[in-house]
Amino acid sequence: MNTAVLEVKDLCKTYIINKRQNNVLRNISFRIDKGEMVAVMGPSGSGKSTLLYTVSGMDKMTAGSVIFCGKNLADMNENDLAGMRLDDMGFIFQQMYMMKNLSIIDNIILPAVKSRKNNDSHKEIAKRGRELMHKLGISEISENDINEVSGGQLQRACICRSMINNPYMIFADEPTGALNRTASDEVMEELTKLNENGTTVMLVTHDAKVAARCSRILFIVDGNIKGEYNVNRKLSLYERERALNNWLLEMGW
Amino acid sequence: MYLRILKKDLKRKKTMNIILLLFVILATMFAASSVNNIITVLNGLDYYFEKADMSDHFVLTLNNNRDEIEDFLNNQPNVKDYRVEEQLFFNDTALSSNGKKLTELKNSALLLSIDNGKLNYFDKDNKILNEVPEGYAYFTGSLPTKADLKVGDEFQTKLGNTELTFKYAGIAKDAFFGSEMFNNPRLIVNNTDYEKFTADEKVRENNSGIIFYINGYDKNTLESDLSDIPSVNFNKGISIVKTSYIMNIIVAGMLLIVSVCLIIVSFVVLRFTISFTLNEEFREIGVMKALGLRNSSVRGLYLVKYLGIAVIGAFTGLLLSIPFGNTLMKSVSDNMVLGNDNALLINIACSIIVILIIMLFSWRCTHKIKILSPIDAVRSGQTGERFKKRGLICLGKSKLGVTKFLALNDVFSSPKQFCVMTVIFTVCLLLIMTLANTANTLSSSRLLPLFGAQESDAYITDVDMIAKIMTGEMSYNEINEDIAKKLSENGMPCKITSEALIFPSIEANGKKCSPAFTYNKNSKSSDYMYSEGYAPKYANEIALTTPLAEKLGVSIGDNVKITIDGKSDNYIVSALSQSMIQFGESGKFHESTNIPDEMIKQVLGFQVDFDDSPDKSESERRIEKMKDILNTEYVTDSDGFVMTCIGEGVKDTINSVKLMVILITAVIVIMISVLMERSFISKEKPEIALMKAIGFKTKSVIAQHIMRFAIVAAFASVISIALCSPFTKLCINPIFSIMGAIDGVEYNIKPIEVYIIYPIIVFTATLIGAYFTAIYMKTIKASDTSDIE
Repeated sequence: MNTAVLEVKDLCKTYIINKRQNNVLRNISFRIDKGEMVAVMGPSGSGKSTLLYTVSGMDKMTAGSVIFCGKNLADMNENDLAGMRLDDMGFIFQQMYMMKNLSIIDNIILPAVKSRKNNDSHKEIAKRGRELMHKLGISEISENDINEVSGGQLQRACICRSMINNPYMIFADEPTGALNRTASDEVMEELTKLNENGTTVMLVTHDAKVAARCSRILFIVDGNIKGEYNVNRKLSLYERERALNNWLLEMGW
Repeated sequence: MYLRILKKDLKRKKTMNIILLLFVILATMFAASSVNNIITVLNGLDYYFEKADMSDHFVLTLNNNRDEIEDFLNNQPNVKDYRVEEQLFFNDTALSSNGKKLTELKNSALLLSIDNGKLNYFDKDNKILNEVPEGYAYFTGSLPTKADLKVGDEFQTKLGNTELTFKYAGIAKDAFFGSEMFNNPRLIVNNTDYEKFTADEKVRENNSGIIFYINGYDKNTLESDLSDIPSVNFNKGISIVKTSYIMNIIVAGMLLIVSVCLIIVSFVVLRFTISFTLNEEFREIGVMKALGLRNSSVRGLYLVKYLGIAVIGAFTGLLLSIPFGNTLMKSVSDNMVLGNDNALLINIACSIIVILIIMLFSWRCTHKIKILSPIDAVRSGQTGERFKKRGLICLGKSKLGVTKFLALNDVFSSPKQFCVMTVIFTVCLLLIMTLANTANTLSSSRLLPLFGAQESDAYITDVDMIAKIMTGEMSYNEINEDIAKKLSENGMPCKITSEALIFPSIEANGKKCSPAFTYNKNSKSSDYMYSEGYAPKYANEIALTTPLAEKLGVSIGDNVKITIDGKSDNYIVSALSQSMIQFGESGKFHESTNIPDEMIKQVLGFQVDFDDSPDKSESERRIEKMKDILNTEYVTDSDGFVMTCIGEGVKDTINSVKLMVILITAVIVIMISVLMERSFISKEKPEIALMKAIGFKTKSVIAQHIMRFAIVAAFASVISIALCSPFTKLCINPIFSIMGAIDGVEYNIKPIEVYIIYPIIVFTATLIGAYFTAIYMKTIKASDTSDIE
């Protein structure tokens, strides 16, 4: 039987803006098993990113439950959530946020140095960071400033950072949103490889080509899961993308 | 459209705009109040003396020889006019309250009828005192504070056989005798009350005194023209009265340093904030340029914004500068009338200058707009070019914890912004350290050589004992022997010496004056310090202070004519020295010079050197014992002796100024920390959110931010400690040189107070400010990463 890494039940998220209640997520339930790569798709404003930030403990839920690796996020305080994000989760953002005063390698190893998950020395962590960079083909930029590299390189560096603590799951918010097609393909290639090596991935995207690399698609409209689509990964990427596009058309995309 | 963009900008960047506005307010407040205070201080005495209607020369007699003096003055061609002020002199035994002595007074007090007053006396609100109700009395000087008198309190004054009860009406300011150094309190009463005293024959005989306020045609020669005035107790020019306010000038000088430092701080901060806020605008500038706006239009937009902020800030700062300036000046204006008639105009002018300076800064900073291109909007203001390594340290190689590393790395990565803070904290620390060093030096034995005295085990400064010499009751030698005998009989064999003060007439190159000369037949001239030349070796050799030598136009090896008791002799100037006696215009005779015992009318005090050279604790014990034996409170150690020479209230005044400056500095440091940290949070919001998103706890991020301030405060402390001594000399030596210490003084730097306590105060204030602002980071959520532009 597959183990659930993330189990979401009746998740609600409501914002109050100018005394008006805005229900962004409405009774959402789903689960993601270990080794899955799930894409969340939907029109703009449907609640995709809010869902990602809520299930990863970055944002507070209004109601429902989110069980991550057996722990209910609703029962955890800010510090516990921060600890969980540091040790057990990895994050990739659309804008490739990095600490501007640190070099690429220092940005990558920052979560590992902060984490108490293992007792490696800074040197050993840096070595691990370089190995990751080598794997992702960006070892030549390790000492560079974040402003000196291309968007694709920077996003791959962000993937390295998200991987440095060997997390159970990686959350990616439109990881290719700010990249051109070539860079986007390179980044997704790396994420797929990670997933094939056993890392669970949940990503938000608008791009069917990106989503076609995943094993499952959740389609959200107005804070509800309107449909779920299992990708046949035995097909070629082109065929998967075509099949997915057809399904999306059925969903009203 | 511009207006809409501006409105939107002001609203959207509310925090940074408010911070800039606050800094403009601070800068205007500091600049306007400081410039005003500087002008007030520099014109201080002249303003006060002009308001008080002081004369060029003062003569005081207790000898009932009014007619004789008036004849002399009437026959002096250089005397333009003179005023005669009659009053009654008395000592502290005349004042009592409920049968107890009101307070101890070291100097004589004067009783004046307001109708007889020939100067302007002022009340606490600096209004001229024109009338005193019958039964009421105003006091000048520090007597009411010492006696803890409150307005309305009753006390008795008994002169001769007449005793009257007065109600204390309030403090009055006396330009002539009100200084801390002269400190002769005046009791200003109604004429009816005054006449009740003068009706008493005993009072008329024993207490009458007259002050002549004399104006001359040639003020420069007036003092020497009047040097032969017959039989008076005080005969000095206005310069000596001016210099008697030296302690107020020192305090005012300190305020001047405070003011200059505040101006420096405010403009450094302002320059930083404008540059800082403009750096945040690259995106908008890039977008506007991409839309086709010209450089001048974009620049104009920002200049208008800064002008608006500058005008609002300057106006608010102008309003606040008035109470702030008054608070600063309060410490020196307690016994002086300070101010300037153009205070408001100066404040307004300063505010306009602040606006102009802001616009100048803005003009220079907005120059950058020319080089910012539309691509900056895309690349977040970064060109992607780098010619040197960003940070000096690498996380992978560092052994520091993450928080410490990040804090240190931030400081090294943005040296400019942290340098600004370091400069501000250093200036603030140096300010406190300098004042502390001055206060500690003024109450330490380091100044002993400047009062022509040697280090001794104890000092007796009882005025009654000194008065025995002045009145001729006992001679200089007799009283020294008498004290030595008394102490010896009580098991404390010792040698008593005293620095006698003689006021001979000295003449050279046609210039004549009557400076103070020290003379001590029991000590060697070679034991004293000289700036140039050699110590007097023979009876006909003297040392002069440099200012006196310059006044007479003589130098080492020159001859001067000195007249003592009508007998003139030539003396050779063998050395130049520095001294604070008579504010630097004094000389020293060789111990073998023949000075008749009866010529010695004044001593600085009696120095006690025990035969068995006891240690400090034993000396302290003996000092207490001596007080009982000699029946006086005025036995002290070398520190106390210096305090007596300078004026006892001075230490309290300087300490209160020091305390005020510590408070002001702490408030400034807290404000700067708060505003800087708030700017950093505003600028670094994306990074804060990112750190939280990748798993940093809020307290870690707060700790990182606070640690940056701690690093800066620590740097500032180290720099301040290194600069403490040279900075003190640079700022305070000119003030001491006014007092006569033209070669500077050896400062008493107390390491624990100066090198530990003050840095801890600044360090703590910095951390408090940074911490309470950093708490705001709690409101930045990890999910805010999605909202970052």
